Amino acid sequence: MSESQFSRRKFLGGAAAIGAAGAIGFGPLTSCTSGDSSAGSSAIYDWKQRDYNFPPLLDQVPEGTVLKAGVIGCGGRGTGAANNFLEAGGSTVTITALGDVFQDRIDGCRDRIKKEHGLEIPDENCFIGFDAFEKVIDSGVDIVILATPPKFRPEQFEAAVKARKHVFMEKPVAVDTAGVRQVLAAAKMADNLGLKVVTGTQRRHQHKYINVYKELSNNAIGKLTTAEVYWNGGQLWYRNSNPAWSEMEWMIRDWVNWCWLSGDHIVEQHVHNIDVANWFFGKHPIKALGFGSRQRRPTGDQYDNFAVRFDLDDGRQVLSTCRQINGCTNAVNEVMHGTKGKAFTSQGGTSKIVDLEGNELFSYEDHETSPYVQEHKDLITCIRQNIPFNEAEATANSVLTAIMGRVSAYTGKEVTWEEMMNSDMKLGPDTYIMGDVGYIKTATVPVPGSAD
Amino acid sequence: MLRRFVKFLREKLLLVLFIGFVIGLLAAIYSNKAIEATSTPESCEMCHVHPHVTDSWKLSVHYDTRVGIKIGCVDCHLPPKGEGYLKEKIKASARDAYGFFFKDSADFNWEAKSSLDQAQHHVFKASCVKCHSNLFPITLNRKGQDAHLYYTQHEDELRCINCHLNVGHYDPNALHAKNVEFGSTGNENLEKFTEPTAVSALEDFTEQIPGTTISFNMKAIPGGSFKIGSPEKEQYREADEGPQKTVNLSPFFMAEIEVSWNEYLAFYGATAAEGRSTDTEGSRLQGEVDAITGPTPPYGQPDQNWGMGDRPAITMSYHSAETYCKWLSQVTGKTYRLPTEAEWEYAARGGTETPYFFEGDPKDFAEKGFLGNLFGKSNELINSYVIYEKNSGLKTGVPEDVEANPFGLKNMLGNAAEYCLDWYAEDAYTQLSDGATDPKGPAMGTERVIRGGTFKSAAGEVRSAARDHTQSEAWMKTDPQIPKSIWWLSDCNYMSFRVVCEFDEKTGKK
Repeated sequence: MSESQFSRRKFLGGAAAIGAAGAIGFGPLTSCTSGDSSAGSSAIYDWKQRDYNFPPLLDQVPEGTVLKAGVIGCGGRGTGAANNFLEAGGSTVTITALGDVFQDRIDGCRDRIKKEHGLEIPDENCFIGFDAFEKVIDSGVDIVILATPPKFRPEQFEAAVKARKHVFMEKPVAVDTAGVRQVLAAAKMADNLGLKVVTGTQRRHQHKYINVYKELSNNAIGKLTTAEVYWNGGQLWYRNSNPAWSEMEWMIRDWVNWCWLSGDHIVEQHVHNIDVANWFFGKHPIKALGFGSRQRRPTGDQYDNFAVRFDLDDGRQVLSTCRQINGCTNAVNEVMHGTKGKAFTSQGGTSKIVDLEGNELFSYEDHETSPYVQEHKDLITCIRQNIPFNEAEATANSVLTAIMGRVSAYTGKEVTWEEMMNSDMKLGPDTYIMGDVGYIKTATVPVPGSAD
Repeated sequence: MLRRFVKFLREKLLLVLFIGFVIGLLAAIYSNKAIEATSTPESCEMCHVHPHVTDSWKLSVHYDTRVGIKIGCVDCHLPPKGEGYLKEKIKASARDAYGFFFKDSADFNWEAKSSLDQAQHHVFKASCVKCHSNLFPITLNRKGQDAHLYYTQHEDELRCINCHLNVGHYDPNALHAKNVEFGSTGNENLEKFTEPTAVSALEDFTEQIPGTTISFNMKAIPGGSFKIGSPEKEQYREADEGPQKTVNLSPFFMAEIEVSWNEYLAFYGATAAEGRSTDTEGSRLQGEVDAITGPTPPYGQPDQNWGMGDRPAITMSYHSAETYCKWLSQVTGKTYRLPTEAEWEYAARGGTETPYFFEGDPKDFAEKGFLGNLFGKSNELINSYVIYEKNSGLKTGVPEDVEANPFGLKNMLGNAAEYCLDWYAEDAYTQLSDGATDPKGPAMGTERVIRGGTFKSAAGEVRSAARDHTQSEAWMKTDPQIPKSIWWLSDCNYMSFRVVCEFDEKTGKK
């Protein structure tokens, strides 16, 4: 396979980039020198001007009529989310429908819900197949929980919104630019319809993070200058192929190792940390330059390490690294640098703010409620009290940020937000059938740059 | 007497207040009624004596709406109440009254007025979004979602009418879709040239494009030297036109006219077969094949419905123009390319050193006022050579409209602007060494030089020395396709180009 095939075209979709004129495009017209915080979007704005919609964070959800949820994607996370939802809502919520492409996944989820919560989900409300999501949405639920591999999310989210359902969906919400745009548009529809959407970025529902954010917005470390965000961890999991499985079945059962299903781990997992940077800065980067590689991943077509520098339109930067390799030193956290100190958002169960000399100014223990449960409490609370709450746009922007980093690492080239928004990148097979789709034989691991 | 009246007023204070209140209320109601009465389509029509506007409105989606509401003139042509409604109403009334009493509506260029350039001055975005407050109804299709998403991310730079220009007045020729039929003309049955023209000396020739019915004239341009740029005292001179430098040029050939639609469609028909389904770069890699991949179908009407034929082809991207030259070289066996900026100005001047290649100063032809019109020079001279804002009707013209310059070239100044090979730099001539031979401009840059003014240009902008440059981002602002086209400009209707042919061993140079 010739290396020239790893062209920008392949990973960037059809974004036009012809010669120098096309490549520059964005830069010269954006002023990065403005010191006036009121002048345009490129100014570094003051915490005072920030307007952030915090989740309600109640320990106990308000009473109300029973909310019925359907779960789409009943694997590990879907089952986990279902349990988190039932724990959050207690007797005031229920799960009435399940959907997946695999019977064994439905069975596992159903059994666990029955065992842990005593809920029986009848056969006729369990749906199998790539179109199961439509049936779950149409089964009379109030909320849908979307937890399939993220490739399928945009279509399912749009369908849920159009059916006027509240949504809990796991991050990432898409794997490619076409998907991100679909989510962004559906997010606007959800706003218009007054629907509530929570997106599995649970750090935004976690006390130690929220408290740091509040301290920082009270000027604890001055203006933010830089962020470091890390998910340097071990191997996640993988499944070897199985003669009983078709090509599609194997890829879906092994989905965290396939770019078209997961978005690669910078999108699938590291988006959590990237989202914290976007949250604290109150905006997303406009370009990325990074690299990465595949060293030890046993299956799939993904990398297992990335290092990316993101640039904001005001010249500030976010440094990001992520890794999924066993036997290395791990770190999963974020560090926010300000003009008067820095904040460690997560050191074990606490977060900490120090001044420039390293003296501790604040520290916060995490709350006893798991953030995975808290985010469901927030969703239920917002529905019952009709509090506007929709995380889809922010998460879609963080996902697009991560995709921008991925494309930069795959190609070795700087990639801009405009290029991403103007890209027709759409990963994976065109149609979904449970069989052989001829994908694996053409799948390749990207090699950036050229050998000569 | 007075005292008694004051006493009366004091005693009847409530009555006085009440009467005042009633008068005020009536005044408010009646002035409001007056405003309403003068804001109906019927009242607009009293002065706006151009019935086609009413006809096209009645055919539009804003008259026969899906939900049964009728949208009138002022709903779009005035801002919403409370957002400058009265101010704009007064301004519009004054303008309309002046037009009604002192002008003849038959003289107005209605076609130009309904173009995007002018429509933005009498259609208010605030009025669009007042009714269309939800840009993401759940009935919106995928392409609409993408387009509105793009709008929400560039709201400051975009107007609704960038994409929805004809929603208020129906235009049967308007097309807001991929134009797959574009370029299929009736020339298919004429006899086609089999060979290109053989050229053996530096003399004018008529090139024949093999495999097509199209030919075009090339003028031999003798080598020589000239002063590029303009003297500091020249009227309307811009800083980027100096300092003047002496430049030497080898002989070359230049096309008599800007590349016409006939010529451009020959290229389009020959190269655009590939990739017609999608407007992207094409999946083939460079070097894999010899064939040249040409433009994908345009979005909308590239000719702006002004007609094609000998009119200059417009709205192609720089990349398209470059690809055209590559293709033309391939099929004719000669070396065609875009002119360098120096070649262009040398050819435009045709040996002259004055602002134009004909007599006169820019101010002679510019806006002159009442006295100027009475006693100033007439515009006859410039009108015979240049298509510019005063005589163009705000669209391109055909070559027969003008006379040639001393080198036999038509429409060098005005009509459509022309791409040059050079990167643009404001200080390009400072960088240029005096006495340079065949200079090619700065080594690097972000935008290309364009020369020659346009049908929208003022007299000062169609001088031989006037310079301008491409605007990569602005010219593609509203292309609704994802990804945007690399072949067609969505937001610039005045770009064309002119080819030069090198005088080399293929054209008889010994």
